[in-house]
Amino acid sequence: MNNLFTIFIVTAIVNNIVLSKFLGLCPFFGVSKKLSNAVSMGMAVTLVMFISSIATSVIYNYLLVPFNVEFMQIVLYILVIASLVQIVELIIKRTNIALYNSLGIFLPLITTNCAVLGITLINSAEGYTLLESIVSALGGGIGFTLVLIIMSGIREKLELAQTPVSMKGLPIAFITAALLALAFMGFNGMM
Amino acid sequence: MEEKENKKKYDIRQSAGSIFWKEFIKGLVISNPVFILTLGLCPVLAVTNSIDNALGMGAGVIFVLLCSNILISAIRRTIPALIRIPVFIVIIATFVTILSLVFEAYIPPLHESLGIYLSLIVVNCIILGRAEIFASKNSVLFSIADALGIGFGFTIALIIISLLREILGTGGLAVFGFNLFSIPVLSEHPMTFFISPPGAFLIIGLLMALFKWIGVIKGE
Amino acid sequence: MLERLKSKGSYPIIFLTLIVLISVSLLLYINTFTSEIVEDQNQAKIKGALEQIFPELTRFEENEGISIIYKGDSIVGYTFETSRNGYSGAIDILVGINKDYTIRDVAILSHTETPGLGSRITEEKFTGQFISLDSGNIALSKDGGKIDAITGATISSRAVTEAIQEKMIEIIEKLSN
Repeated sequence: MNNLFTIFIVTAIVNNIVLSKFLGLCPFFGVSKKLSNAVSMGMAVTLVMFISSIATSVIYNYLLVPFNVEFMQIVLYILVIASLVQIVELIIKRTNIALYNSLGIFLPLITTNCAVLGITLINSAEGYTLLESIVSALGGGIGFTLVLIIMSGIREKLELAQTPVSMKGLPIAFITAALLALAFMGFNGMM
Repeated sequence: MEEKENKKKYDIRQSAGSIFWKEFIKGLVISNPVFILTLGLCPVLAVTNSIDNALGMGAGVIFVLLCSNILISAIRRTIPALIRIPVFIVIIATFVTILSLVFEAYIPPLHESLGIYLSLIVVNCIILGRAEIFASKNSVLFSIADALGIGFGFTIALIIISLLREILGTGGLAVFGFNLFSIPVLSEHPMTFFISPPGAFLIIGLLMALFKWIGVIKGE
Repeated sequence: MLERLKSKGSYPIIFLTLIVLISVSLLLYINTFTSEIVEDQNQAKIKGALEQIFPELTRFEENEGISIIYKGDSIVGYTFETSRNGYSGAIDILVGINKDYTIRDVAILSHTETPGLGSRITEEKFTGQFISLDSGNIALSKDGGKIDAITGATISSRAVTEAIQEKMIEIIEKLSN
């Protein structure tokens, strides 16, 4: 799995980080009721993934590996991500207050989004170079956004449908996710 | 959640022991992290494909939750409010790294099959959530009760889900190499669907619906 | 005293720095123990895997990625490692070949394939198929070769097969020179 295009397609679709690797589920089920929210959230996550993949790849390849302290990954990466999210939050607050308000609490929650930390950990585990890490992160972010958009479209329609009481809300969302995951499984063997 | 806080004030006369027990049960059943609060889902779907992984993850989460709750509760008065989230994160990340190193050295197969999900315990909303909501505001003793309750609630949820997925998906049950049993027809033609990602979503969705249905009958 | 400390503006920074320093030291300390154990385990694993393929092994020599297996003073075969991404991650494979460049045996060193499906590549039922094959017909039967894939785990099976095929050609090239 060496060439960049393959890496991109694999993280975005074949091993979709949400439907196949189970990362980024909290926002997936929490934000996805309105399409506009889904898009904003997806973009914000992709941005954070992009920047943090650069930072963590540099830290890994030029700091952790040479000094043989790879185990410091967890502590360092999460600190990097937490700081990045703070900075992105400040920038959005200053430049687009409407966006800031609509994202609300989900913006700081990007820090605890398994997907962001997950992509950086995957990049290190696979031993990607800086360029490969960036492509992987972009693939992950776009894959995440794609799935979020699909899910919100379906959930908007579901709100209008008659669901049994115990199925309402999360249970039916999970069943929908199951069907989506099943569909995405069809991409296996593409590479 | 608020009602339960108020209830606690009236229990002042009761002994610390029964409050400990109450917090424990709360984490286990009423506020079961997976089925009721739906927190910390990411690892749940990933590690419930086998009972080994589920038990390993459960033990890991209990360890980290316990250690971080104890430490944070112990130093809660010294933590400046402004940076409390980063402090919690560093503490939790440290314990998760310790867990990962120990697993890598002493239980390598588990470390390998859990993979990145072991490291991802650090962003498990449950642990950070309990640190913020409970451990930073309560005594060490009650924080221990809370950690154990939520931790075991989480583990039990993992066990239930992985039992379903493994039995349906492989037709048998094997714990750490010991084959417990094999169902005759099912083991030849297992429903491997349940081991795969869609199966995970489906099982959890159905279980959530079940819990909700039981709740509806109880008139909640 | 604590209140006076806390009111100082620099207290948060100092506190955070202190916590990070303690964390780093603690982890470094623990790592010194565990990394030794992990290293030993890796060595034992490799030796164990080599012995699995060549039980008569008395010693082995490593040379540019190929391990030369000796029994006493004579060479009985060679082993090499290869890796390939399967369904969900890298599969590490150890291949042993006889002096006539046919496969002696195959061992899966590590993988993260789906339990019950792709994980079955470790079974003798699958790896045994490679024995005594030469580099010409190492492919899945659905691709025209002799290896039957595991039902429901074509990707994992194909990954292993292709990895062995490719690396084998490379290694035989090297050995012939």
